[in-house]
Amino acid sequence: MNTLKVNAYKFLILILFSLVFYIPLIAQQENQSKTYIQIRVDGLSCPFCAYGLEKKLKKIDGVANIHIALEEGVVEMNVPTKKKPSEDDINKVVTDAGFTPREIKFSETPFKADNDNP
Amino acid sequence: MKQYTHYLLLTLCSITLSSIHARAQGPPIYTDTPILLGLEGSGVRTFGKFVNKDKANIYVQPFIFPYNITPKVLVGVLVPFINKNPENLSSRFGLGDMAVFVKRTIFQKDGKAKTFRVVGKIKQSFPTGNTTEIPALGSDSYQTLLGVVTGYITTKIGLYSELAYNVTSNGLSDNFVYNFAVGYPLLRQQYPAKQVNLYLELNGNYLLDPDSNILFISPGIQWIAGRRVLIESGLQLPLVEQVADTQKTNYILTLGARVLLF
Repeated sequence: MNTLKVNAYKFLILILFSLVFYIPLIAQQENQSKTYIQIRVDGLSCPFCAYGLEKKLKKIDGVANIHIALEEGVVEMNVPTKKKPSEDDINKVVTDAGFTPREIKFSETPFKADNDNP
Repeated sequence: MKQYTHYLLLTLCSITLSSIHARAQGPPIYTDTPILLGLEGSGVRTFGKFVNKDKANIYVQPFIFPYNITPKVLVGVLVPFINKNPENLSSRFGLGDMAVFVKRTIFQKDGKAKTFRVVGKIKQSFPTGNTTEIPALGSDSYQTLLGVVTGYITTKIGLYSELAYNVTSNGLSDNFVYNFAVGYPLLRQQYPAKQVNLYLELNGNYLLDPDSNILFISPGIQWIAGRRVLIESGLQLPLVEQVADTQKTNYILTLGARVLLF
């Protein structure tokens, strides 16, 4: 009976240990989970004008690592997965900046030419 | 001076033609741009303009504050300060004729790394410059300018034009403004930009009464120092100048900056 009690305590301690150490780790991992976004933007022909687009994109909640490749007409960035914006949100931001949004891609991994610096 | 002008024109045309495959661009220095700042975008542009005439030296320092109220509509204010130093007269400094303006995108066709845009423009000037003493700092005239600004800007070349009709009051001649610009960068196109752009512009002003024409050739250089700062300089040399000898301009030197505020 005593052995059973001891084992039950050990089991409870193990559960508590898991709760204390693993749950924050999982939560942290969830927080760090990123969604990578690639937007094809038409009309990007002037570096001085691209500032307006970058400024607007920065207003998207959680956005980081914005990279604008003028010659390719491509913008890449990432956001925490739980703050992933909708395509409509992105389209509005690009249009407000004075450009024309085209294809928008979402990915759980960085795009090939992504310049993300962890 | 004319000989130098011809050499300069030839050199700049050669550079322009040989660089047709180079990358473009930033806003031209003297010709207006059809690219607006984007919704709620704002900035300030100022430049010192030193005008050398046969009988006077004039220094103009305008401050221009544009603001985009919608993605396609930009409004702005122009506040010029002028210093005039005429020969045999005392110099004067003060506020010139202030102006407000509205620009609206009326056509926009975007492609990959290129855009073609047409912007309508209205500028209203007010006679805020003092004219009670000589030399006058203002025109003593309300002026309304209606114009169209066009730009075809790709990563290979940027072509700009500005055509405008200026309606004046108080006995001044109406005038037709015509500006053309071509620009290309010397460094690789990237963002954030560390870029040097060269410009060649033609800046004309045709007065209707009496019939007379003024045309400048304007080479310029522009340094985009970062995301929000641009420094530029240009020299305007007269090609055609159908005005009284005492009114003739030898050259206009410009040094300025544009800063995007928010």
